[in-house]
Amino acid sequence: MRPFHPEFILTAFVQIIPYLWVTIATMIGTVVFGSLIGLILARANIRRGFVSRVLAQAYIYITRCIPSIVMLFIVYYGLPELMLGFGIDLNNMNKGFFVIVTFSILFSANMAEVFRSAYETIDKGQREAALCAGLSEWQAFYRIVLPQCIVVALPNFTNALVNLMKEGSLSYTIGLIDVMGKGQLMIGQNFGSYSLETYLALTVIYWGLTVIMEKGFGGLEERISKRKKLAAAS
Amino acid sequence: MLEVKDIHKKFGDHEILKGVSLNVEKGDIIVILGPSGSGKTTLLRSINFLERAEKGTIDFKGIHTEFRSAGKKQIHEIRQHTGFVFQNYNLYANKTALENVTEGLTVARRVPKEEAIRRGKEALDKVGLSDRYDFYPSQLSGGQQQRVGIARAIVTNPDVILFDEPTSALDPELVGEVLNVMKTLAKEGATMIVVTHEMSFAQSVASRVVFMDQGVVVEEGSPHQMFSAPKDPRTMQFLKRVLREDFDYNI
Amino acid sequence: MKLNTQFMGQTLIHALAGVPVTLEITIVTLLISVPLAFLMALARIKGRGIGNRIISVYVSMIRSTPVVLQILFLYSLIPTLLNYLLNQVWHLDINIFRVNPIVYAFVVFSLNTTAILSEVFRSALLTVGKGQMEAALCAGLTSWQAYIRIVIPQALVSALPNLCNTSINLLKSTSLAFMMTVKDIMAITKVDAAFGYNYIEAYLVVFVIYIVLCTVVQLLFTFIEKNLSGYKKLVAG
Repeated sequence: MRPFHPEFILTAFVQIIPYLWVTIATMIGTVVFGSLIGLILARANIRRGFVSRVLAQAYIYITRCIPSIVMLFIVYYGLPELMLGFGIDLNNMNKGFFVIVTFSILFSANMAEVFRSAYETIDKGQREAALCAGLSEWQAFYRIVLPQCIVVALPNFTNALVNLMKEGSLSYTIGLIDVMGKGQLMIGQNFGSYSLETYLALTVIYWGLTVIMEKGFGGLEERISKRKKLAAAS
Repeated sequence: MLEVKDIHKKFGDHEILKGVSLNVEKGDIIVILGPSGSGKTTLLRSINFLERAEKGTIDFKGIHTEFRSAGKKQIHEIRQHTGFVFQNYNLYANKTALENVTEGLTVARRVPKEEAIRRGKEALDKVGLSDRYDFYPSQLSGGQQQRVGIARAIVTNPDVILFDEPTSALDPELVGEVLNVMKTLAKEGATMIVVTHEMSFAQSVASRVVFMDQGVVVEEGSPHQMFSAPKDPRTMQFLKRVLREDFDYNI
Repeated sequence: MKLNTQFMGQTLIHALAGVPVTLEITIVTLLISVPLAFLMALARIKGRGIGNRIISVYVSMIRSTPVVLQILFLYSLIPTLLNYLLNQVWHLDINIFRVNPIVYAFVVFSLNTTAILSEVFRSALLTVGKGQMEAALCAGLTSWQAYIRIVIPQALVSALPNLCNTSINLLKSTSLAFMMTVKDIMAITKVDAAFGYNYIEAYLVVFVIYIVLCTVVQLLFTFIEKNLSGYKKLVAG
């Protein structure tokens, strides 16, 4: 049995933490682009147009079936070749770019479902009542419909975000040095020793991030729905 | 036959039952009236241990026990000899009408399957559902579901049937069919304890009316006595209010 | 961009040999996880105390960390730990490194899936109304009989959509089993790909295979759901 050094967990933790920004930056990039695509997909899915709806649903279905690592490899190896055909050279592009592209594709499908379910739960009567009460279309959306949508969407969004973080850890397989990548790098530099300690440090980091996200968004949701309750009571 | 004494039941700090006693003889039709929150439903649920009362005793089928200390066996025995009809039916969603009725026979009482089916069909026929044996609850109207609920309660030949606001969840036009079934049962000599807001049922069917308010029995007596000459001011006020509502409905 | 279709055809044939492995991991994992997760869900609903605390920490830890991390961690822990226990402590002289690596895949994915399914079953059990249990108790059933005959069948049906999701996610995660040297679809294609640098073609093949597998799983669940949830159907009129 190889010796176990609990104190190395802390050493690993301290060395890995500086790379947290890479993990978070790629997540933010993915959330921004993924949400934009997701919004477009959700619109296509809600609107009547038959072709656009079928396309959107096919996109969502396919991305749901693909393991993230397969998507990541296809984008990483395929996108540069594809773009070369248009005369664009991506071969020296930052690894983070491919990570954001891959996970935007996957995350957008989740976001499309988040948007759609939020939109569908809101009763049309809410908007109509607001309009009848003399609010403008924008006021009705901003003050009545949107807050309710957010309350419905937040738990699903949090779920999608936690999933994104977990799947994002695969980025090390194409050489991105985020927290997972740094951990793997350290294990390699130590010739495989301290691997358990390093993985435990990573466990603490991911677990902590998840708890922070869940608590943070949970608190936000509570605040928004409380405001709603207060407004209803007054 | 069934006697409960001095039941006390709290939910948190809120005392729902503050010492209620009730004596039921064979063939009695006891109707419990009272404003919402008076503890009627809790009394009923305490009798067959859906709620565990903190204090009080129960005497039934040779069992004499404190509510607090009743063991699994005694509770099981009491439930074997009572029927319960719920406000919102609580039919097993994954079972057909007939299966709902026979479940208590085959599983809980080890009645052979064929006999259970025969008795189950009899019970469903009695409540007028001979054409709905194989329907699932989701395929039945509220009134039909509640009649299955009643069939389920009577199929085991219980010594006493407890009705917890059996018509409160029903649309007004469906109330009649359920009340008619209950009236038939009463005529056939069933022993029933009924919590309800149906004044006409209380007036015409009850052998005794019990009026509860704020966790105690305020007054009890024959329907005639209770409706024409209530003694307690709280009873008077309650009756005045609900009877006027009834009257308003009839216009 | 030109795709080497001849290579793709060859790789597809090679990769199909990995399909039974992928399915085996998925099915064995589900067979282990479903009953375990169900017991855990029941324990968390009915019981309290230290056991429950341990279960909820385990569930939270598994749900909060990437599968790949769980694979790497357990794969570097279990073999050496077992080797130490078997040979140094019990002196059994068993060569643990000769064990088929698919066994590690069963262990890792079962640990993961059990945690996720226990939450699925817990919420499914909670969706069955309290009244169903009360009605069964009033009919004279014991609480065990009520669980087995009334509550659990309904909970299983309402858990089906999430069970389907979990199965698909599991199927997808098995693509990481190559990290434990299991020869699944992904592992086979990776070797083919590296041989002639035909990465895109190779992964497109995997892409297609997974879409097919995923579709089969979904159809299977749709079929099961249709057969089990007949009682939910509402007949008009």
